[in-house]
Amino acid sequence: MPTPLPLAHVRVVDFTWVIAGPQATRILADFGAETVRVEYHSNLDTIRNTGPFVEQAPGVNRSGFFNNMNRAKRSITLNVHHPDAFRLLKQLIALSDVVIENYSSRVMEDWGLGYEELRRIKPDIIYLSLSGFGHFGRHRDYITWGPTAQALSGLTAMSGLPGLPPAGWGYSYMDHTAGFYGAIAVLMALHHRNRTGQGQWIDMSQAQVGMALTGSAILDYVANGRPYKRPGNPPGNRLTDRPAAPHGAYPCRDGEWCAIAVFTDDQWRGLRHAMGEPAWTQEPRFASLSQRCAHQDELDELVGAWTRHQDATELMQRLQAAGVPAGRVQVSRMRAEEDPQLAHRGYLVETDHPEIGRWRVEAEPALLSATPSRIERAAPVLGEANGYVYQELLGLPDEDYARLVDEAAV
Amino acid sequence: MAEQNRSQPLTALGDLRVLELCDEKGQYMGKLLADMGADVIKVEPPGGDAARRVGPFLDDTPGPERSLSFWYHNTSKRAITLDLERPEGQRLFKELARRADILLESQPPGYLDRLGLGYDDLSALNPRLIMTSLTPFGQTGPYRDYLASDLTLLALGGVMASCGYSEADFPDAPPIRPDGGHAWYIGCHYGVASTLVALLWRDLTGQGQRLDVSIQEAVSCTTEVALPMWLYNNTVVIRQTGRHAASFITPQTQHPTADGRLLNTFATGRDPASWTRLVEWLASEGMAEDLADPRYGDPLVRMGAATHQEPYHVAEVLGRFIARHTAEELFQGGQTRGLPWSIVRFPEETLADEHFRDRGFFVEVHHPEAGRALTYPGEPYRFSATPWRLRRRAPLVGEDNEAVLGGELGLSAAELDRLRSRGII
Repeated sequence: MPTPLPLAHVRVVDFTWVIAGPQATRILADFGAETVRVEYHSNLDTIRNTGPFVEQAPGVNRSGFFNNMNRAKRSITLNVHHPDAFRLLKQLIALSDVVIENYSSRVMEDWGLGYEELRRIKPDIIYLSLSGFGHFGRHRDYITWGPTAQALSGLTAMSGLPGLPPAGWGYSYMDHTAGFYGAIAVLMALHHRNRTGQGQWIDMSQAQVGMALTGSAILDYVANGRPYKRPGNPPGNRLTDRPAAPHGAYPCRDGEWCAIAVFTDDQWRGLRHAMGEPAWTQEPRFASLSQRCAHQDELDELVGAWTRHQDATELMQRLQAAGVPAGRVQVSRMRAEEDPQLAHRGYLVETDHPEIGRWRVEAEPALLSATPSRIERAAPVLGEANGYVYQELLGLPDEDYARLVDEAAV
Repeated sequence: MAEQNRSQPLTALGDLRVLELCDEKGQYMGKLLADMGADVIKVEPPGGDAARRVGPFLDDTPGPERSLSFWYHNTSKRAITLDLERPEGQRLFKELARRADILLESQPPGYLDRLGLGYDDLSALNPRLIMTSLTPFGQTGPYRDYLASDLTLLALGGVMASCGYSEADFPDAPPIRPDGGHAWYIGCHYGVASTLVALLWRDLTGQGQRLDVSIQEAVSCTTEVALPMWLYNNTVVIRQTGRHAASFITPQTQHPTADGRLLNTFATGRDPASWTRLVEWLASEGMAEDLADPRYGDPLVRMGAATHQEPYHVAEVLGRFIARHTAEELFQGGQTRGLPWSIVRFPEETLADEHFRDRGFFVEVHHPEAGRALTYPGEPYRFSATPWRLRRRAPLVGEDNEAVLGGELGLSAAELDRLRSRGII
């Protein structure tokens, strides 16, 4: 018998799109929450139309990006301009535990579905709003994408080499991360509801979540008067919070890179040994950790001149055997096809999609002994759950459902 | 289990007792639970955890009670000391585990088993216990015992491969590790989310369980389109300065302003309304160049850098406009026109942001030992019924030994003295 899915008793009405909201509902759905995406043809989640597509042929059910973010969820279509739309939505909400949306901050209110109305429909509803700036405050109407939130919160400026423009984040980190907090918040609220029967509204701002990840920098400024914006910052791959040298990404054969992090004298001895004890390592300027930190530029040059001729994977293995923290810089291909640890963990699992077939998606990185996550379906074909939701759950008679289809309500 | 204090506002997790046996890898898990009301007891070795040696430090003077990094990541917790390598320490820890709901730990795989404090030992005493183990690679597998750091995990997990500089801008620049300890954050986010999933299961069934969380795998689940680009198109994305890694060279989205700042313009022009307002704005200052041309009215043309040249031209025109204005003018002017523009700010600049002041984001935390209050980043989410609350500054080493070991486990003052003198607490 399969293990139980721990959130199988939770139903989520999912108005989310792009990444931040879908990341939140992805975690809930992966652990079994029945997650119903509410969509419509004329106003689709932009990720349905964002590549990569299977065989590079676009189509609303063909995006691999969408498949990875929305697996294990269901989809209904609903035309909010049809006069029956909100009656149907409210019926669904009345049967649900959680409502999640990441629209800009006035959409749900304009629809007459603010928290006060939601709780009239379902008194213990848990409502998560996840917008760029939150639903109140003077800039509530300002909007963000992941990179906007990263720039605003300080995270972009904290990534890069000193003296150069920020490298920032090469993807929407704050979409993933706001989604993590969204899932965490909903799960906390469900626990509170289990104890008290009380639902609530959780208002999130994506930019604000980013600011919560800059605590050490803020405290350094507040307590010591030291701004993050100062010569030498951002520190590239070096550390400012403790001594470490060498510490960075070093070039290897075939354009690859390997990260090496040396914190102690033992690890330095291990690195020297792995390099074959070259004479320069005996020089006084590298004799102690503080000396190595003071001469990091020269040290990086010398270490890099050696790593340049090494295979990155063999280098990592050799350094690990010598007691040195090291890890190759892995592009997606290496993580998907070559990394024995990720493979051992079951990092990727296969799903079967009715239109695009069998494809791998990321599994959950937490293994639960009694109630592990199980991804039982691929991302939903647009509207695949209309019959289930409108007829089975809401109990619409055949003729009413046929009329809704005729009138393009669904 | 902790009693909900009725004079306090409602908390989401006020019924929970959590033991935290974490170094810097896992300490943020405990903060996330403690700031929502859980009674988190941090168990440190006598003298304090290694995370207390991570900078920056108050007045730049290192010391176990001066780490600002430790302060931020350990708010609202209590702390005791216990030497878990000695039988008396182990016995006391078991007593605590018997009464706990959740144990968070980030020790090397196998370490607690060797001490007789593994999941099998503890769940035999307390079958309701949820034990979450957060480690660099997980409890099993070929890399299980590999040494790791924030840098090496961001490398192996795929973040660094996407972060850095365009080859044309800065040849031979390395992949970049974004500063701030994000491998730990990402691991802790997944660690807490899945611990809460296990908690909800326990709410239903009374059953505890063991969680095995890999930081490398968590990081590897946090790289957006990079993985699907490989799986579906056999393409590896390439790093580009200040913007998304992609399979081709995309237009610049980070532009210098007249006052020496940078403006991020990601996703400009996605919707017709804000595009129209943008072109009107540029035209009002005679800087629209040819952007009013109808061909830019098609988002697939103005945005479609994979198939069109126009997006590169749009970025250049925008760059010329941005170079003539201050960052603040552009941020406000852009946002009021529906454009997702933002200044690339440094963390300290957010302290003055009036919108986040409206939201009450920053909070004052009293540090009696330092004789002052310090401003901390506050709530990542605003709960209407069970508000986030930073209840106390991070605990001092062993600050709650008497309350927990004496008051709760019933050790006498003489016994506590004896444990102290023998270095067990």
